[in-house]
Amino acid sequence: MQQQVTLTIDGSTIRAARGTSVLEAALGYGICIPHLCHVPGLKDTGACRLCIVENVQNGRSRVTTSCTLTVQEGMVIRTNTENIKRLRRNIAELIVAEAPNSRAVQDMAVRCGVREVRYPFRRENCIQCGRCVRYCTEMWRANALGFIGRGKDRKVDFAFGNRRDICKKCQSCVIYCPMSVTPCGGPMKPGEEKLCGKCESVELMAENAYGACVHCELGKGFQCSRHAM
Amino acid sequence: MARLEKPEDLENLRDSLREENRGFRLRIIIPNGTCCRASGSQAVIDAVKAEISKQGLEKEVFLHITGCHGFCQQEPNILFEPGNIAYCRVKPGDAKEIVEKTVGNGEVIERLLYVDPLTGERIRREGDIPFYKAQDRQLLTNNKLVDPLAIEDYIAIGGYGALAKVLEGMGPEEVIREIKASGLRGRGGAGFPTGRKWEEAREAPGDEKYVICNADEGDPGAYMDRCLLESNPHAILEGMMIGAWAAGAGMGYVYVRHEYPLAVQHTRNAVMQARALGLLGENILGSNFSFDIEIARGGGAFVCGESTALMASVEGKVGEPRPKDIHTVKEGLWNKPTVLNNVETWANVPSIILNGSDWFASKGTRGSKGTKIFALTGKIRNTGLVEVAMGTTIHDIVHNIGGASDGRAVKAIQTGGPSGGCLPASQFGLPVDFDSLYDAGSMMGSGGMVVMDEKTCMVDVAKYFLKFLQDESCGKCIPCRVGVSRMLEIVTDITEGRGTRAQIDLLKELAETIGQTALCGLGKTAPNPVLSTLRYFGDEYLAHVDEKRCPAGVCRPLIRYAIDPEKCNGCGVCVRSCPHEAISGQKKEVHAIDPEECRKCGICAAECKFDAIMVN
Ligand SMILES: Cc1cc2nc3c(=O)[nH]c(=O)nc-3n(C[C@H](O)[C@H](O)[C@H](O)COP(=O)(O)O)c2cc1C
Ligand code: FES
Repeated sequence: MQQQVTLTIDGSTIRAARGTSVLEAALGYGICIPHLCHVPGLKDTGACRLCIVENVQNGRSRVTTSCTLTVQEGMVIRTNTENIKRLRRNIAELIVAEAPNSRAVQDMAVRCGVREVRYPFRRENCIQCGRCVRYCTEMWRANALGFIGRGKDRKVDFAFGNRRDICKKCQSCVIYCPMSVTPCGGPMKPGEEKLCGKCESVELMAENAYGACVHCELGKGFQCSRHAM
Repeated sequence: MARLEKPEDLENLRDSLREENRGFRLRIIIPNGTCCRASGSQAVIDAVKAEISKQGLEKEVFLHITGCHGFCQQEPNILFEPGNIAYCRVKPGDAKEIVEKTVGNGEVIERLLYVDPLTGERIRREGDIPFYKAQDRQLLTNNKLVDPLAIEDYIAIGGYGALAKVLEGMGPEEVIREIKASGLRGRGGAGFPTGRKWEEAREAPGDEKYVICNADEGDPGAYMDRCLLESNPHAILEGMMIGAWAAGAGMGYVYVRHEYPLAVQHTRNAVMQARALGLLGENILGSNFSFDIEIARGGGAFVCGESTALMASVEGKVGEPRPKDIHTVKEGLWNKPTVLNNVETWANVPSIILNGSDWFASKGTRGSKGTKIFALTGKIRNTGLVEVAMGTTIHDIVHNIGGASDGRAVKAIQTGGPSGGCLPASQFGLPVDFDSLYDAGSMMGSGGMVVMDEKTCMVDVAKYFLKFLQDESCGKCIPCRVGVSRMLEIVTDITEGRGTRAQIDLLKELAETIGQTALCGLGKTAPNPVLSTLRYFGDEYLAHVDEKRCPAGVCRPLIRYAIDPEKCNGCGVCVRSCPHEAISGQKKEVHAIDPEECRKCGICAAECKFDAIMVN
């Protein structure tokens, strides 16, 4: 079987190895699709939904996450249509309103074009991207962490809520957690949460370089795959 | 009974069973499903049974315990065949009289007959009761013919005949052609053409394939699947066998929630009986077809009805959906090609094979064929399970079958559960089929129908469903977990008088975002209750936001109770009934409610005989 497929992303023709995801293929060519829960080498679950793209088939475009979409011959992908930008901004707004005390989340929101947050801030300390859980189970096969419960009660915890002894203390969960980097000025006081990312350089870059990965500083805080590789 | 080695064995068994049944002069049918038991059918059965043996009638009459017939409101009921005499709301104390008069002398006891609430007339025959008369009962009609615990009953009414027909002379392709030609579409909600699904699974590469019956049924208010599985489990098993033959599967699972213990018990029993007769297992009826079924019990999460979550749950993993860029007909259970169909879809299969696709396609509309069962509940007189041909109008269902309730006007109907929406009375002319409901902003769903009247606040309804979805979302993806909880936050603000117009716009934008980006069907359809109420009842939202008023008088922070001086005659009932001592007034003088003390519990309004308590 042919090992490479050809697809079009935002008008550029791209070749990618069979079996890779659209997100990885795009990143490999320097096309930046914002992403949060994707970690290179781990199974993608499609939790954060920031990496959405339009997959155009027979003239109809379907919104789907690029990290869970495998490349196919002749695929046509659009990563930056007005619709996608709007949806992505709305999702990023939801995330930053949930957890303002993370530099990574704040940067990501600015990167996705959020300029105002229309919801009251909550002070969650986990956005359930599942990076820690997957690293723990897939990379270290420790199975120390997992998700417990469903709906609004879902949370990351040790087995049975108390089996800390299974943990191998590799600290990957901390390293890969987007919440572990606080905003520049430290954690915000309750009631004073705001959208930061007002650093001019960041804002300029996010506006102008939309769609192209410029090895920006944004992703550093949460191991964006450009920095982790 | 001996193992059936060939199709003729089945024929012979059927003939001898029919002969046996002829020995009885009367069949006393008492339904004993979950809903019947809740209204006390077991005690009635015990009383009737004791009475029959006391009077020595065991040889002449046959006490037939079946599943629910559908008119749940009038349970426990008894049906006599031949004669079709139906008694409603029977009590154990009636047993003696029933056995003496009706069983002994063929006398009809007038007081136990159904009374038509509109005309006051007593109706003798079950078939003449308006609730039944307006229906087209193809699947439910078997419920009164079979004891769910007896495979003999199912065989006697022609059961497993379709399986024999298929194994004797219909190749898998022919079965698929027949199902495709019938136009059968999935009854689980989305309405995917069943024949096409089977074909795709058949064509998918791999030797190991599966079929699954989806009996998760998590929509609030829906219980069609429970009733089918409880009352006639063999029909579903037979459907699955035929599907497995067509798709090339060797193993099947019935995924049923553990909150349905009776359905689990009956299905398990049915599987064992079918195995004993050789209808499940190796070389079924002497053919080269081998197939077995196992029961997988679910923990009762709504999201586990979603195909990928269901399969994860059957595999023993956490019931969370996964992205469906590859369909489950190609990579389903254990990554093998899998056909997943709803209980009712499977139940339709045997009769299509026996009666032909033309028979099935002769009912229904262009895009939706056959009949559909609905669980009709809410502000109507007759609640229960209703089976009608596709394309019947909502009006017919609500008014002719449901007998819309007294006085208050029906305002809306909710269809499709949390994935569906609310349609206003002005849309009641719509034929009920997959496409017209979808176009109108709702959904067929699995078949829940809740009728609402003037006293229902549509914003409150939307809030109810958002609350349900917030709890039942698996929580994996951001738009569904966070987005739905934000929608609930906004709608709660609106119902508590803090809402603004900007919030309504935000609600719409959020709904659209969730609908487009959520991972699975639960999230994608989660905004529907809000979108449909915004579309048809936008003025109610505006009344909450602009005037801080709840037109239906439901949202507590927005209502005030007051006493109408014209109507109050000072009887004092409200004064005594108020648990918060908020009402004062002398006897024979107009009373007054102290708004400071009033907790808006509504007890006074319910107690007042003169309609003098006003809500505004
Ligand atoms: C959140 C959610 C819940 C569902 N619940 C059920 C259910 O309880 N019963 C069911 O048959 N289908 C349910 N479905 C639909 C199934 O995913 C699937 O489409 C169906 O079982 C396929 O069978 P059908 O083609 O016979 O309809 C649900 C879907 C979603 C997204
Ligand atoms: S990176 Fe694709 S969904 Fe999170």
